[in-house]
Amino acid sequence: MRSKTEPHGKSGRIIAGVLTFAAVTALVMIVAIFNAPTKGGPKVMASMATYLAEVKRTAVPFLVAVGIGAVAIGIMAALNVYRVWLNRRKRKTMLAAYSFLAPYIIVTALFTVGVILFALYISFNKYDIFTEPVWIGLDNYKKAFMGFVDATQKDFLQALYNVGWYTLIVVPLQTALAIALAVLLNSRIRMRNFFRTIFYAPSVTSSVVITLIFVWLYLKGGFLNGFIARVLAPLGVEYAPINWLGDPRGLFQLFGFEIKSAQWYLRGPSIAWMAIMFQNIFTTAPTFMIMFLAGLQDINPVLYEAAAIDGASSWQQFTKITLPLLKPIILLVVVLGTIGTLQVFDQVYLATQGGPLGTSLTPVYLIFREAMGSQGPINMGYASALAFILALIIFILTLIQRRVLEKGTEQY
Amino acid sequence: MKSKMLVILSCLVVSAMFLTACGAGAASTETGNESTAETVMEADTGTVEDTCPLPVEEGATIVFSGWGDDSEQQIYKDSIERFKEVCPSVTVDYQPIPDNFQDKLKAQMAGGTAPDVFYVDDQLMTAFASSGQLMALDDVMAEAGVSRDDFIPSLLTIFTLDGKTYALPKDWSTLGLVYIPEAFADAGIAEPTSDWTWDDMREAANIIAEKGNYAGYCMGSDWARFAPFAFSNGGRYASDDYTTATLDTTAIKEMAIFVTEMFNEGSLVRPADISASWCGEAIGKELVAMTLEGGWMVNSMNLDYPDVVWKTALVPSGPVTRADVIFTNGIGVNAATQYPMAAAAFAIYVTGSENQGEIVKTGFAYSTHPEQIDLIGNVNDKAIAEGGLLPDTLVAYWGPYTSKVNDAVSKALERIWLGDQTVDEAFAQAQAEAVTALSGQ
Repeated sequence: MRSKTEPHGKSGRIIAGVLTFAAVTALVMIVAIFNAPTKGGPKVMASMATYLAEVKRTAVPFLVAVGIGAVAIGIMAALNVYRVWLNRRKRKTMLAAYSFLAPYIIVTALFTVGVILFALYISFNKYDIFTEPVWIGLDNYKKAFMGFVDATQKDFLQALYNVGWYTLIVVPLQTALAIALAVLLNSRIRMRNFFRTIFYAPSVTSSVVITLIFVWLYLKGGFLNGFIARVLAPLGVEYAPINWLGDPRGLFQLFGFEIKSAQWYLRGPSIAWMAIMFQNIFTTAPTFMIMFLAGLQDINPVLYEAAAIDGASSWQQFTKITLPLLKPIILLVVVLGTIGTLQVFDQVYLATQGGPLGTSLTPVYLIFREAMGSQGPINMGYASALAFILALIIFILTLIQRRVLEKGTEQY
Repeated sequence: MKSKMLVILSCLVVSAMFLTACGAGAASTETGNESTAETVMEADTGTVEDTCPLPVEEGATIVFSGWGDDSEQQIYKDSIERFKEVCPSVTVDYQPIPDNFQDKLKAQMAGGTAPDVFYVDDQLMTAFASSGQLMALDDVMAEAGVSRDDFIPSLLTIFTLDGKTYALPKDWSTLGLVYIPEAFADAGIAEPTSDWTWDDMREAANIIAEKGNYAGYCMGSDWARFAPFAFSNGGRYASDDYTTATLDTTAIKEMAIFVTEMFNEGSLVRPADISASWCGEAIGKELVAMTLEGGWMVNSMNLDYPDVVWKTALVPSGPVTRADVIFTNGIGVNAATQYPMAAAAFAIYVTGSENQGEIVKTGFAYSTHPEQIDLIGNVNDKAIAEGGLLPDTLVAYWGPYTSKVNDAVSKALERIWLGDQTVDEAFAQAQAEAVTALSGQ
C-alpha cells in the first residue's frame, strides 16, 4: 500500500503553514487598515498616502487590538493547513475549497467583517466622522440605558419598548395568518394559482409603495375611517374618526385607564404603532405563507389517509399531523420574523418618523437618526453602541427560540 | 508539490490584484481630474476679468450641489449662466441632489468627494462648521467688498460660529397670516389687517368657527407655527448662548395657554382634525379660514389650487411686540476645494444683490438683501416677507441641538392638546428635555 504522505513533504508542510499564517494575518490587517477608525473628510481622503498617515497617527490602538486577533486567526489557519498538508486528498479538497471561496471571503471581510470591527471599536468612542474618535469607554452603552434614571433620555428604552410590543404582536399573528393562508391555498380549490398570486402580491410589492398607500388609507378622512363609519352607521353607533398614524394613545388607555405620560411604559402600544403593525402583518405574512406552502407539500399524504381511516377529523389532522410536521418551518418563520420585526425601519421612516410622541420610535430608526445627525451632531459612536445592543438582544432571543421550538423537531 | 505552490501563488496573486485594483482606481480618478482641468484651461480664452468678485484661479472647475425640484434647479441653472458672464473663466458643474441632500452630503464629505459649493442648512452647519469642513468666508467677503451688513441681519445667525461666517444666506421665508377672504365675508366680519393682534385673530376664528362653514384657525403642534406666538410675548426657546433652555418661562407658557384655550374652544384646529396633511392644504381645500404659512404657499397654491382666492396679512402682534420666525438656507464653500477663490466667488455672486434681484423677479424666493424687498412682485409674497423685516423677528436657531429643542416644543404642544398634560407639566418636561439636549447628552 502506498503511503499517503509524500517523502519530502515535511518542509513543504512547514512552508505551507508559514505562508498561510502570513496570508491570513496580512488579509485581516489589510481589512483592518481599510476600516480603521480615523476621522473622515476631504483632507484625510485626498489620497491613499494621507489616509495611511492618518491611520498611523490615530488608529494604532485599533490596529494592535485587531493585530492580536489576526495573529490568533493566522495561527489557527496555519495549524489547520499544517495538519492536513501531508494528506494528499484532504489537501486538494482544502485548496480547491478555499480558492473558490476566496473572492467571497475577501469581499465579505473587507466590506462586512471590517465594518463590524470598525463599528465595535467606534462604539467605545465619541465620533462624529469629521474629528478624531475619542475613547470614552462604556459611556455610549451607559447612555443607552440612562432612561432608567433620567426621564429626558428615554429614547432608546422607548424604542426597545415599542419594538418589544411590535414583536410580541406581529410575530404570532403573521405566523398564524401565514399558516392559515398556506393551508387554504394547499387545499383543492378552484383558481388556486390565481389566489396564490394575489395573496403573494403584497410581498413582492415595494414596501415603500405599500406604506404610502396605507398612509392614505389611515388618514382621518381616509378610507378606513369611512369604512368603519359606514359599517357602524346602520347599528346606530356614533363613530368619531381616528387619525390612525397620528394618535399616540396607548392600547391600555383605550380601555379607560388613566395613565400619566410620565408612565408612558404602562400605556402599551399606541394606535399609530398598532396601525403600522397591521400593515406589516399584511406585507410579510405572504412571504412566510410561501415557506409554509413548501413545507405542506413535503408532508406525505399517506399520513392524512391513515389518519382519516382511523377516524381523525380534519381539525385533528391539522393539529396532530400538519402542525407538528411544520414545526421546523415554524421555527424558521418565527426566528426570521423576530429578527425582521426587531429591525423594523422603513415603515417608520416613511409613515411616522418615530412619532407621535415617540410611540413609533424603533431602535434602527434611532440608530439612523443618531448616525446621520438629523437631530443634532453626528453621533456615530452612540449609534454603533445601540446597534451592538440590538444585535445582542436579537442573538439572545434567537437562541431562546431555538431552544424552545427545536425540542421535538424531527424531520420525517 | 509544484502544482500546490502554484495554487497558493495564484491565491496570493488574486489578492494582490485585488489590492492593486483599489490603488489603480484611485490613481486613474486623479489623472481623470487633471485631464478635465487641462481641457478647461485650453478652452479658456484668457479674457481679462474685472467683473468677477474675486481673482479666481485660472481654468477653475467647481461642482455645485443643492436640493430642490425642477423649478429650483432652473433658478440655479440661470444663476450659473449669469455667473458665467461675470466670471467667464470658471466652469460650474451643477449636480443637484433632490432627495436626502443632507445625508448624501455628509457621506460625500466623509469620503472626500463633496462638491466645492453647496447648500448649507442648520444640520450641515452643525456637522461641518465646527470640524473645519466649511471655509470661513470673512476674508474673501472683505476682498470682494461684501459685508455681513448687506444681508437681512437675522439670516446670518445660523451660519455664524465663533464670529466667523461659514455660509451666505441664499433665500429665506417667514410666516404670514394666510386667509380665505370668502370665509370672512361669509361670517360678516372684516378681513385681517396689518395691525391685528392675536386676540383679534382669535375673535375672528371664533366667529367663523361658530358660523360653521369654515374652521377658524389651523395650526399643528409645531414649534415653527408656535414661534411667532412665543416671540411676540418676548419668549425664546433657549438662552442666547445656547447653553440652557428657556421653555418653562411665563412668556412661553402664557402663549401656550392662549393657543390651548383656542384649541379647547374649537377656534383652533390641527390639520389632521380636518383631514389635511398640513395647514396650507387646508387653505387650498377651503376647509379653514386662517393659518400661518410662508412663501412656499404661493407656488403650492398656484400649482394645486389655482382657483382658490386667498390673501395674506402681516403676522398678528402679541402682548409685547410683533415678531415673526424666519427660515433660511445658505450657500457654503468646501474647505478642501481645489479652487477656493472660484468657489467663494460663486457663493458670493449667487447670494449677492445682483443675482438675488434676478431670483426675486421669478417669484421663487425672497432676496436676502433687505433693500430688495420691494422687488417682490406677488402681493401675498410681499405680505409674508414683511414679517421678516420686523426688528424682533428671529431664526429659531439654538445651536447644534436646535432640532431637539424645537422638537421638545412640538411634543409639549402635542401632549397638551391630547389632554395628557397641563401647560405647566408639558413645558416643565420640555424644559428638562431641552436642557438635556443642549448639554449634549
